[in-house]
Amino acid sequence: MTTIDRPTDLPHDGGPGGHHDEGSYLTPKGGFWYTVGQWATTVDHKKIGVMYLTAVLAMFFLGGVAALLVRLELMEPTRVLTQTAADGTVQTVVTGQLGLWSDPDNAAVGYNGYNRAFTLHGAIMVFMFIVPSIPASLGNFFLPIMLGAKDVAFPRLNLLSWYIYVFGSIFGIVSILMGGVDTGWTFYTPYSTSTDAEHWRVFFMVLAAFILGFSSILTGLNFIVTVHKLRAPGMGWFDMPLFIWAVYSTSIIQVLATPVIGITLLLLMFERTMGIGIFDPGLGGDPVLYQHFFWFYSHPVVYVMILPGFGIISEMLSVHARKHIFGYRAIAFSSIGIAAVSFLVWGHHMFTSMGELAATLFSALTFLVAIPTAIKIFNWIATLYKGSIALNTPMLYTLFFLFTFTIGGLTGLPLGALATDLHLHDSYFVVAHFHYVMMGGTVIAFIGGIHHWWPKMFGRMYDEKWGIIGCIIVFIGFNLTFFTQFMLGTQGMPRRYASYVDEFQIWHQISTIGSWILALGLLIHLFNFLYSLVNGRVAPPNPWGGLTLEWEAESPPIEHNFHREPIARHGPYDFETVVPPHCDPEEYPLPELPEGWKAHEKPIG
Amino acid sequence: MTTIDPTQVPELAPKKKGMPWETYEHGHHWRTAEDEFDAAKLGMWLFLSTEVLLFAGMFVAYAVLRMKHPEAFINGSAYLDVFYGGLNTVVLLLSSWTVAMAVRCAQLNHQRWLKINLIITLICAVAFFAIKITFEYIPKLSAGKAPGRFFSYPYAHDPHEPLWWAVYYVSTGIHALHVIIGAGLITWVLVRSYMGKYGPKNYAMVETAGLYWHLVDLIWIFLFPLLYLVH
Amino acid sequence: MIDLFKAITMSPLTLAQDEGPAPVKTSREFQENQEAFGGIWENFFFGIGGTTEETQKVDALFLMIWWIGVFFFILLMGLMIYWAFFKYRRQPGKAAEPSPSHNTPLELFWTIVPSSMLIVIFLFGWFGYMDRQVARSDALRLDVSGWKWGWEITYPGGQQSPWNTRIDRVTLPDGSVSEQTQDVKIFVLPEDTEIDLRMLSQDVIHSFWLPDFRVKMDLYPNRYTGYQFRTPTIPAGENYVDHWIFCAEYCGDYHSEMAGVFRIVSRADYEDWITNEAGGDKPPLVLGEIVYKGKCAICHSIDGGQNTGPTWLNGYGYPAEFSDGSTLEARDDNYIRESILYPAAKISAGYPNQMPSFDGQLSEAQLAGVIEYYKAQSDKYVPPDPEGAEGEEGADGEGEAEAEGGEAEPAPEMPPPAEDD
Repeated sequence: MTTIDRPTDLPHDGGPGGHHDEGSYLTPKGGFWYTVGQWATTVDHKKIGVMYLTAVLAMFFLGGVAALLVRLELMEPTRVLTQTAADGTVQTVVTGQLGLWSDPDNAAVGYNGYNRAFTLHGAIMVFMFIVPSIPASLGNFFLPIMLGAKDVAFPRLNLLSWYIYVFGSIFGIVSILMGGVDTGWTFYTPYSTSTDAEHWRVFFMVLAAFILGFSSILTGLNFIVTVHKLRAPGMGWFDMPLFIWAVYSTSIIQVLATPVIGITLLLLMFERTMGIGIFDPGLGGDPVLYQHFFWFYSHPVVYVMILPGFGIISEMLSVHARKHIFGYRAIAFSSIGIAAVSFLVWGHHMFTSMGELAATLFSALTFLVAIPTAIKIFNWIATLYKGSIALNTPMLYTLFFLFTFTIGGLTGLPLGALATDLHLHDSYFVVAHFHYVMMGGTVIAFIGGIHHWWPKMFGRMYDEKWGIIGCIIVFIGFNLTFFTQFMLGTQGMPRRYASYVDEFQIWHQISTIGSWILALGLLIHLFNFLYSLVNGRVAPPNPWGGLTLEWEAESPPIEHNFHREPIARHGPYDFETVVPPHCDPEEYPLPELPEGWKAHEKPIG
Repeated sequence: MTTIDPTQVPELAPKKKGMPWETYEHGHHWRTAEDEFDAAKLGMWLFLSTEVLLFAGMFVAYAVLRMKHPEAFINGSAYLDVFYGGLNTVVLLLSSWTVAMAVRCAQLNHQRWLKINLIITLICAVAFFAIKITFEYIPKLSAGKAPGRFFSYPYAHDPHEPLWWAVYYVSTGIHALHVIIGAGLITWVLVRSYMGKYGPKNYAMVETAGLYWHLVDLIWIFLFPLLYLVH
Repeated sequence: MIDLFKAITMSPLTLAQDEGPAPVKTSREFQENQEAFGGIWENFFFGIGGTTEETQKVDALFLMIWWIGVFFFILLMGLMIYWAFFKYRRQPGKAAEPSPSHNTPLELFWTIVPSSMLIVIFLFGWFGYMDRQVARSDALRLDVSGWKWGWEITYPGGQQSPWNTRIDRVTLPDGSVSEQTQDVKIFVLPEDTEIDLRMLSQDVIHSFWLPDFRVKMDLYPNRYTGYQFRTPTIPAGENYVDHWIFCAEYCGDYHSEMAGVFRIVSRADYEDWITNEAGGDKPPLVLGEIVYKGKCAICHSIDGGQNTGPTWLNGYGYPAEFSDGSTLEARDDNYIRESILYPAAKISAGYPNQMPSFDGQLSEAQLAGVIEYYKAQSDKYVPPDPEGAEGEEGADGEGEAEAEGGEAEPAPEMPPPAEDD
């Protein structure tokens, strides 16, 4: 650890780069409309982070509703019922479709409605929720504070990227209001270029994803420069919290992979409007080229989704177990390693459409990416050893993450092995696998992270009891919903099916009931948060006893984050040698100091 | 323990006098102006890497489709006029040189030549665009050599020639869009250079705009041989 | 439901019932013969354990990965739960004990051991995959065609299955009948035979999944893909076993009912079916007429009538004029073939260039048939001499030899087009 000899007794409102006490960033500085204007034009990374948080949670809700509709439709298979009445007249009706979109005479109407629902679910969750979720909300809020900076490197670019996100999402919503799209979120050609040919809605959805890419690139670029240039004095690369390492790796992927989906979606839009034929086999183009382009982006982007989750887990684990991360460098390097290898494995989404040599290479490379991920899991479990583990909501979510993500990771193995993938590809096994990784990984880490940082962001404690209840309900619902889908997949249920053969029904029913439990758990969290905003206990600056710099700021932080520029005096996880100030001993008893341990310097701010 | 240096505290520091570039104050979240300029440059380099990957997609599409339909691409390339392509290459190379000179002039505080160099760059951008439109796009489009479903050229030798035109128009079109954006940036820099914003202490904007313009040039250096010269 | 199928199993050993195929009876309904199809875990995961050597290999690989996974999962979660909930749970006034921040030998150990396991898994996966890719010389070559929304399979002699069915047909207590909304095809295959699929899509991407054979591959327009598998031996006492075919690549409204059934029967029954039910070999002219009606008649008349494309009446043997001013003295076989495969190469004067290419969409036999049919519309057509009839009989014999696992590939088979990589 580097220490820098600097004065520590400067006045709070003076000193180099110091600021007057201007109140928290949440404090309104004027009337209602003035405040709204302030927020709409703010370049403060915290406000932008909160705006992102609101926006992505709204999208999560929308995508979640679509998911519930998908599960509801799958409660029973679609059937034609032929009834002979007493008077001999024969009547046929379509049954087993969701009343919302069914037509008793025409099964295609119901199927089409289902196809639009799952496309909506996929497109919203991927492009509008999970990609921007952690980096753009928690990352925006905490990356500069954890670095000890006043803001990100390019604050105006940051605001622009939020507006681009909103602008892109509006196109997505317009597309939904126009009737939605039935292409699947992957937009595979030639289906996506030929379906709904007379409508603009597919075009708008593709345009939305295209625009959202810019937002992603600008955020990533901003973060990389911030990490390079705005670290606090005394903070070397290996003194950075692991959340920063994770977001940094994420940003590299965002910057390098997103332009490829940009050109791909642009070509797709030209394909639909002008029939240029680059992806159209009928005109001599190559649909497999589209898949290569698409997965060259969309595989690395899987790590854009999960890496920030890893970062959050590292933070929560060490703080709530009061234990340094086991193998800090191994975790930091494995983040970078995952980012690097993620660009080499896209082909494993296409084993059923490529030649033998390519499939062999991509399979081998895919196993390569499993290694750093496994290392992370081992290190996290080892971190628990000899800890002092508080079983509060963030910690329970961390354990939840380790449970589901381990399942998600292990079920990736049969998908990476060629022989088994030929069977499991595009089946419910894949659906279950990536929900265990994306939902059981990213979303769970995200929810845990919101709990962990909620006191810092809004200055209020959430209710611990309801947090734990919600966590347990989400755990039960999640596993009921998705573990059954592994069985469906191995038994032969293809994904994106609106109906199925009878033998799959029991698994689908369990899964659907699980989805209701899952939704209930998430709603409990939502109400817990809303209640805390209104009536929550006021949070101390450092309720968990964390050592990263964000806990040195006020809760919620002031406009410029710190009263004066903080200095990294200790590593982010030096719990054995440093006891942080601002702990709440009543709620979270701190350990007695053994003799010879040095206490932290007097509280700052 | 040190005493507070009043010049280090923004509120207490006296207002500086001089040209705008001399009195430039860096953003409040930066420690020094150097940090800010370094960050701007790093940001632009990162952005350029995204641009390279954007065009990499087009190059891959070119390679794959050329492998599938070599005749269409050889025929298609023969329709292009190497003279105008070459002329545009020269125009862009010249503009790349002048924009580099503009950065140099800003560093040396040659305000007059800074503006002249930027104006020449801008003229080159317009010239490139004019040549592209007048001598390449318009004659080809009016002959029916258009991409996709607008293709109506009756004397095509190969059924896949529309694909060639798709690759040609998309890649040169996106490049032309970059020329427009680059020209917009140069104009913005030019206007601000008239306001005296750039000088030895503050030329980050000139340099980043210049970097962007070099990229526009670089992409063309790859597009020109691929589209015009490879037979 | 199961009882219903059992009742059918008891019925006499006939493939076809009076009005069509016997009801679908999938391998999943042989649960009582579990020993024959693998262990309890195979049946739990796959509905039915592998019935051939290569599917058993896939099952074994899956279960190997599964047990490795279970081992690591229990190890890791056991430690996690024991430490987090019991051993190191936070207690008031009790500090965390000091512990090392890293341990290089331990970290190397848990990097190298899983890595070597991954190598083993990769190799097993690769071997199993390559089994599917290498064509056996004695394989029965089937041409699979997929479209929105259905499957068609062309047997080596050009036969196609006439059988359709609705799957999951159930008679409810009140007498009404519940079934899937779409008809699916039943394709009959001989037992214990190597099958080599060559697949082509007619519109968007589909994927031909045989869950019971643990294999799938995507279908593309204008590009052949394919794989091999071996049909199992049907159990004693049964005369057929059905296996699902599902489309695994999303393709639109009826994606979820783009199914099919592979019916594995004894070789003798297959021979019987292919001659009596599927109609045997068709002479080129008949085949050509079928293709003409299905694909060409929308644009080309055979009676001289005006249409989108030139009429076929008196085309063969007559001179042609093209839009670029060139002419052809007499339309011959090569011209017709080129016009079908590469329509834009020569465009008849007075017609726009709008015919799609049929490159890759027709088998050589179908192509030969269409060419024959085109020629037959001209008064300069000379029918094949009577010896041709004997030749056709010869072809029949060849087809039979092949169906019995013979070595000959049908003569008209051509290698895939150059762009198939």
